[in-house]
Amino acid sequence: MLISLNWIKKYVEIDIPNDELVRLIGARLVEVEEAIDETHKYDGIFAVKVVSAEKIPDTHLTLCMIDDGGKAKDVVRNEDNYVQVMCGAPNVHEGMMAAWIAPGAIVPATFRDDEPFEIGMRKMLKKYDSYGMLAGADELALGDDHSGIVELDPASAKPGDDFAKLFDLDDIILDIENKSLTHRPDTFGILGFAREVAGILGQQFHTEDWYLRSSVDFEVDKSVKLDIEIDEKLCPRYTAVVLSPKNNDSPKYLTLQDTLLARSGMRPIEPIVDLTNILMLLSGQPLHAFDYDKFVSVGKSDKPKIIVRAAKKGEKLTLLDDKEIEMNEDDIVITSNNIPVALAGAMGGANTAIDEKTERIILESATFSLYNLRKTQMAHGIFSEAITRFTKGQPAGQTLPVALRFAELAQNIGYQPLAVFDSQKATPKAEKVELELLQLNNLLGTDFTIKQACSILQNVEFSVESKGKKLIATVPFWRTDIHIPEDLIEEIGRLSGYDNIAPVLPLHATSDPNEMFALKTVLRNHLAARGANEALTYSFVHGDLLKKVGQNPDNSYKIINSISPDLQYIRQSIVPSLIDKSYANLRAGYDKFALFEMNQVYPRDAGLDEDGVPQGLYKLGFVLVSQDNNAGFYLAKKYAQSILDSLGIAHNIKPFAEAEDKTNAYYEPKRSANIWSASGELIGYIGEIKQRILCDFKLPTNTAAFELDLRTILKLQGANAKDFSFSQFPSVARDLTLTLPLDRQAGEVEAQIREALARFGLIYRIECTSIYQADQAKTKNVSYHLSFARTDKTLEKSEIQDIMNTLEKIK
Amino acid sequence: MPSISELKAELKRLNAEYAKIKDMPAEKRADFGKELNVKKQNIMQQIADAEAAAEDQEVFPLDITASRDINAETPVFLTADFGSKHPLMTELDRVIGIYQSMGFDIMESVQLDDEYHMFDSLNFAKGHPARDGYDTFRTEEGFIPPAHTSTMQNRVLKAHKYKLDEGGAIAVAVPGRTYRNEDVDATHEHTFYQCEGVYVSENCTLGNMLGILREFFEKYYGQKLNIKTQPGYFPFTEPSLEFLIEKPAALGGKGKGGDWLEMLGCGMIHPNVLKMAGIDPAKYRGFAWGGGIDRLVMLRYGLGDVRNFEAAKLDFLKEFTC
Repeated sequence: MLISLNWIKKYVEIDIPNDELVRLIGARLVEVEEAIDETHKYDGIFAVKVVSAEKIPDTHLTLCMIDDGGKAKDVVRNEDNYVQVMCGAPNVHEGMMAAWIAPGAIVPATFRDDEPFEIGMRKMLKKYDSYGMLAGADELALGDDHSGIVELDPASAKPGDDFAKLFDLDDIILDIENKSLTHRPDTFGILGFAREVAGILGQQFHTEDWYLRSSVDFEVDKSVKLDIEIDEKLCPRYTAVVLSPKNNDSPKYLTLQDTLLARSGMRPIEPIVDLTNILMLLSGQPLHAFDYDKFVSVGKSDKPKIIVRAAKKGEKLTLLDDKEIEMNEDDIVITSNNIPVALAGAMGGANTAIDEKTERIILESATFSLYNLRKTQMAHGIFSEAITRFTKGQPAGQTLPVALRFAELAQNIGYQPLAVFDSQKATPKAEKVELELLQLNNLLGTDFTIKQACSILQNVEFSVESKGKKLIATVPFWRTDIHIPEDLIEEIGRLSGYDNIAPVLPLHATSDPNEMFALKTVLRNHLAARGANEALTYSFVHGDLLKKVGQNPDNSYKIINSISPDLQYIRQSIVPSLIDKSYANLRAGYDKFALFEMNQVYPRDAGLDEDGVPQGLYKLGFVLVSQDNNAGFYLAKKYAQSILDSLGIAHNIKPFAEAEDKTNAYYEPKRSANIWSASGELIGYIGEIKQRILCDFKLPTNTAAFELDLRTILKLQGANAKDFSFSQFPSVARDLTLTLPLDRQAGEVEAQIREALARFGLIYRIECTSIYQADQAKTKNVSYHLSFARTDKTLEKSEIQDIMNTLEKIK
Repeated sequence: MPSISELKAELKRLNAEYAKIKDMPAEKRADFGKELNVKKQNIMQQIADAEAAAEDQEVFPLDITASRDINAETPVFLTADFGSKHPLMTELDRVIGIYQSMGFDIMESVQLDDEYHMFDSLNFAKGHPARDGYDTFRTEEGFIPPAHTSTMQNRVLKAHKYKLDEGGAIAVAVPGRTYRNEDVDATHEHTFYQCEGVYVSENCTLGNMLGILREFFEKYYGQKLNIKTQPGYFPFTEPSLEFLIEKPAALGGKGKGGDWLEMLGCGMIHPNVLKMAGIDPAKYRGFAWGGGIDRLVMLRYGLGDVRNFEAAKLDFLKEFTC
């Protein structure tokens, strides 16, 4: 939202520097995204009189002599002190007052460009010197009109007047981040914004009388007929003014109003529309003008009636922009005797549009349910200045005064008000809110007196009475956001400045540890210290990814409004995301790496929690990609086991089983395993990825992965503390090589060795040092490095021999 | 079951059939073509299945109980100095650590939630346009990947209410992953991290909120800081504010003033929010705040492109080796 500070200054006396004002607005009302300094935007532009205008034959050009009151420097003047300028506009004529951009000045339309365009002297048609430029509205950044140059009113503009002074253009434009004003419809009008500025500066604001009118104060032509029927829920109030045909055609001079529209980000279009827009910008109340006679003829009745109702599903209406829309039950429709003529709050219909033949006009000033309009906005993609204001909930109290103001001002452009119609079922009673001073000071940590609190609210036109240490505030009709004591506390704290509240640290208790967070920190450090890289990937995946890795898309929650098919499903496990990201890293030149991620996943079959919300699972996913020839399984397993060992979790590596829900369907069953705790809980999976999937993702054949369930790990953590027993007596180191059948499982053999050593009552360590199979051999040689000791005495040679003999018999 | 070569021969024969179409009466062409397509799809599926089965046959099983493959070397971990932690997670750890040192419990946010927690319990009126500002994703069932960690406020209040009954205060920080349905560019991500803070007691004030927030950022940046606020709007706080700090020296702040960083939104918890969690707003009051973690990391390391965080690219990740 763009706010002209000069416009604000018409309503509030401001005696502090602009940057201080901007700072205070930021601290006490709303974030100012940018204060656009336009104080020099119109430098070097003057009102000039065109004293002669001579058409150049066979061109569109006119050679003019202009009177700039002698203001411009560095120009050649004739004996009458006039300057020569060529003009291409068709409307240039002798005697007119125009806006002239003198040599050396910047064309305002390019003011914010990287390279603003500076006008100079140009040689035209090879022989005419042309100084500066007679400007059109577009060049002046005051409109889109490129059809001719702007014409100034000779009654107010004299040759040599500063253009900026004439139209009060030495301005600062505030670009307001209006998201934080969602609850403040009043601040979407200059009047409301100015009231806040007054409050911030500690000044009493006085709303102009016209905004507070509650009855019609001009003579009404009783012969004009119009009935209004509203559905109060959809349209709490509907005010309409009927105006007579235009009675004069005054020349179109550039006006202050035109420049205010432009400074607010809008454009002058046509007198009636401009007036509706300027009043909307001023009050926040959007207005719409219908052609009265078209309205009557559309309704096919001599008793014209505005009926405001919910649209019917599939009901059609062609809008002002000539697009036909199909409405639904959430839309509110304005009808003429039930024939749609406007999509309420959003856009008028083509069938009642005003045009050059329009005579009488109906001006609509109404308020609609913001909930419905919000849906209209979404359903039809209309985001106009008007609907933006309507969806903040403009108060019903202002429809009549703004309509009457329109009637008043329309007389300046040749229209006479004939009649006013106002429909409102019941006038809402002004709300009263009570506030205890104690509650105010307790919540904010302040020490306001009752007098201070009252005066802060009174400045922004609450009527306030105080009873001892309590104040009772009557809420003005435009403050639709004030209902409870806390709302008043916000007003008082904000307008007086939160920055005046001293920060005080409360005493605190000790905190409870969060074990999941602590665990994740440990795992992060553990894996990173072993050369793995922690990654994060999206919680959303493409349906194709699920299919490629063999997961069932039906087991994923589906996002219905995603911006891209890449984000259509919520993922079931982390490993597929890491697989998906691996190839890019290979291609970037990393030929051996491990990615891991710890995050929540939400497979649908995890069910709902006690709140009826999908149950999240905490997982660690890990993928190992390597261009070497070693089976990836064993290194992945080493990583997984190092985690479990370090946390003291006894576990078993058992044959792989595909999960019923197929969440782990990407593991190659013959080269994968399940990890079970000693107490029989499934901790996770390790394995190599199926060849078909690797092929799809262009990954090396030995790519391996594992995933662990972090809640299970948390539960088991420390359950099986390491055995730290050791012997005071020297231990013996021996190597053992066993020749075993090819299909003999290493795990079983190792278990047998442990069992044997335990039987001898030894403390021991076992490390497998090699598994060797000679060419074509039917057996393999498995070597171990052993060290063992007795706890009660030094082992004797014979005992050692016994032990080794026993071990060597294992097969 | 026919062999792969038989199936392929059949496919070749079917492909040849297509040539007949042009000699057929026009009205029969469509049906013939359709029928042929179905047959062809069927054969192609059979070939794919047979090939997959054959591939599976070729897979050599591993001894999963061994420590290495036959004739292979002992597997060794990757080089330690190659490893790295994700900067967002490192930062979250730091943030959490500071809150814990200030007496805050930690409760991680959920990543899939419902309308009640995301909006209703936070005093958003049903159908209110303020809900649109959050650009939420939605699932078919109407679940919502939360757009702010405030989605946890109701749970936090309920779960820690006993602390009030014991005469203490609720002080909880809620880190979590959050989502907004918007296009991704250098400064916008649809997936990001936030941390929420919730504090409730019998006598806390807005001044206390400012005190806690200033304390947090002073610990975080290791220096004294100037702070300021600007009014904000959140349906779940009243008053609502935005909290800013003056650019700290660590981020190139010169201490001359005027250079402000917007860190988070905050405010006094709306009485309706307390009520909905079963806490009596006449007896207790509180404040809450929430801010982005991604931006803290961007500022700390001077990063320019938020898209790197979720891209899992080693070029980026390895910049954060431990």
